[in-house]
Amino acid sequence: MKTPLSKRLSSVLSLGAIALLIGIQPGCKQGNDPSAPFDISKIDTVITGTVDAELTEAPNVPQPLTYTSPKRVKVKLEVIEKVMNISDSTQYTFWTFGGNVPGNFIRVRQGDLVDFTLVNHEDSKVSHNIDLHAVTGPGGGAEASNTSPGQSTNFTFRALHPGLFVYHCATAPVPLHIANGMYGLILVEPQSGMPKVDKEYYVMQGDFYTKGKYGAAGLQDFDEDKALAEIPDYVLFNGKVRSLVGSGALTAKTGETVRLYVGNGGPNMVSSFHIIGEIFDKVYTEAGSSINTGVQTTLIPAGGATIVDMKMEVPGTYLLVDHSIFRAFNKGAIGQLKVTGDENPSVFKKGK
Amino acid sequence: MKRILIFILVFSFAYATQGQTAGSVPEKKMLTIKSGEYIPFFRLPGTDPVFIKSFLLDETAVTNAEFLEFVKANPQWRRSKVSRLMADTNYLKYWKSDLEIGEHNKELYNSPVVYISWFAAKAYAQWKGKRLPTVAEWEYAGMAPLVNSREGTLTSYVLNWYSKPNPKVLPNVRSTYRNKYGLYDMHGLIWEWTFDFNSFIKSGDSRANTEDELKLFCASSTLYVNNKSDYASFLRFSYRGSLKGNFCIANLGFRCAKDIN
Repeated sequence: MKTPLSKRLSSVLSLGAIALLIGIQPGCKQGNDPSAPFDISKIDTVITGTVDAELTEAPNVPQPLTYTSPKRVKVKLEVIEKVMNISDSTQYTFWTFGGNVPGNFIRVRQGDLVDFTLVNHEDSKVSHNIDLHAVTGPGGGAEASNTSPGQSTNFTFRALHPGLFVYHCATAPVPLHIANGMYGLILVEPQSGMPKVDKEYYVMQGDFYTKGKYGAAGLQDFDEDKALAEIPDYVLFNGKVRSLVGSGALTAKTGETVRLYVGNGGPNMVSSFHIIGEIFDKVYTEAGSSINTGVQTTLIPAGGATIVDMKMEVPGTYLLVDHSIFRAFNKGAIGQLKVTGDENPSVFKKGK
Repeated sequence: MKRILIFILVFSFAYATQGQTAGSVPEKKMLTIKSGEYIPFFRLPGTDPVFIKSFLLDETAVTNAEFLEFVKANPQWRRSKVSRLMADTNYLKYWKSDLEIGEHNKELYNSPVVYISWFAAKAYAQWKGKRLPTVAEWEYAGMAPLVNSREGTLTSYVLNWYSKPNPKVLPNVRSTYRNKYGLYDMHGLIWEWTFDFNSFIKSGDSRANTEDELKLFCASSTLYVNNKSDYASFLRFSYRGSLKGNFCIANLGFRCAKDIN
């Protein structure tokens, strides 16, 4: 009698172990969980048509997707090397995805087959490729996309996991390509879509290393020694000092819900992302499936992202900062969210 | 001032003649690169340095005027005749026609020929009784220090060039620096084809080393690199890794090598 009992026990135990294993597998929940990865058994679901992805320049985000079954989504991104202002008095030779830093925002839906073409502009000096963290496949696409100046490459990938993902150039020397601004974000919406909000914006942090100090006038070359020492001259939102200040400020009205898709291109700094005067109602921690609530400051790793939602209750100017605060004060990591509308004295009232 | 003007006049006349008349292009000077050891940039543990035999290398890149002579003598390399397998649609696209560099390009007669494929470069070299340098030979010759520039190190000079977009008009040969061997413009003017351009990085992903099928990402790829902070070499090897033999590119030309018998 002993043997059958131990057999039964062991089978119960192993079943339990299997259940545990399944249980602790991140992102492998079953059912209607919007965070679940694409059901691989349905990989051959007929693609219901082809669309061109809407690409936007920061701080704009493409419109929420309205289709409800997987499509072939064509994305064409061009690498352009160009001199742009890094501050009002300083120029830098940026390497860009689409002509801006950060690169164009890409929005697809879980289950989509993304048909990706990388073009390297004829006037580029060097070769470039792309690694999208949303890709399941070698090098995130980098292996298939090393592109000479004037040429283009193509690969397709299935967007299996929902979330907000960084993409970046992975051509050697990778740190130089990233330090020159070669990063952006791709959002893979869950099949049920993102919960509706009133405003969506795209913000991406990056650190820059120049021969001259912060604000030194003229065209500044990349400084390899500072980059290796990880001592940036600039820590910026959207590639330029004051890009989100004044006429560039993000806007909303009181009572509106605002969502920020925030990425961090690095190459080195980890961001302590904070908005002065606001508490994030929701943080999609590391842009994955777990949602944290009531957060003051959230970490964004280099090569990572986060999604934050908040409802604007009180009018005023709210400051986006990297709360590793010297960066905000001295290196440019500061932006504005201007909220207009009626005062809300039951929430906040200034005394005499 | 007068002297400069005369100089310019004489030279423009010379270029114009070079550009249009067959057989008037003087033979290119070749310089001796003395034998020595080259330590490959990408290498696995245990890789031996490469022994480079003494060889000859063109003093400058091949110019438009020189390449025109080749095209005249070899009709199959005319723009309208060339096979797409041997050169893509960008082949010599800035020339006025098959056999004319064109008046609009008169500043370019003595500039490096670009928008030419590896096959075309190789055919030119053969026509001249020469060959393309290997990557090892090119790198060995290219790392010689600068002798007529105020720029500090060669790496900073090269990185500086890489960080600037292509100029509107490609400058003439001999317009940058000369190195210890007497070679002009090894860096700072154009990229140059090499015989075995794609034998180092076969993968498009620069974080991988496919020589031994290892998938090495980000920092780990540099375990197999001679000097991790030599960003200039990384850029050059990545660029070569992106090429195919029929590509014709705006900043890509060549110079020829020759064995010493």
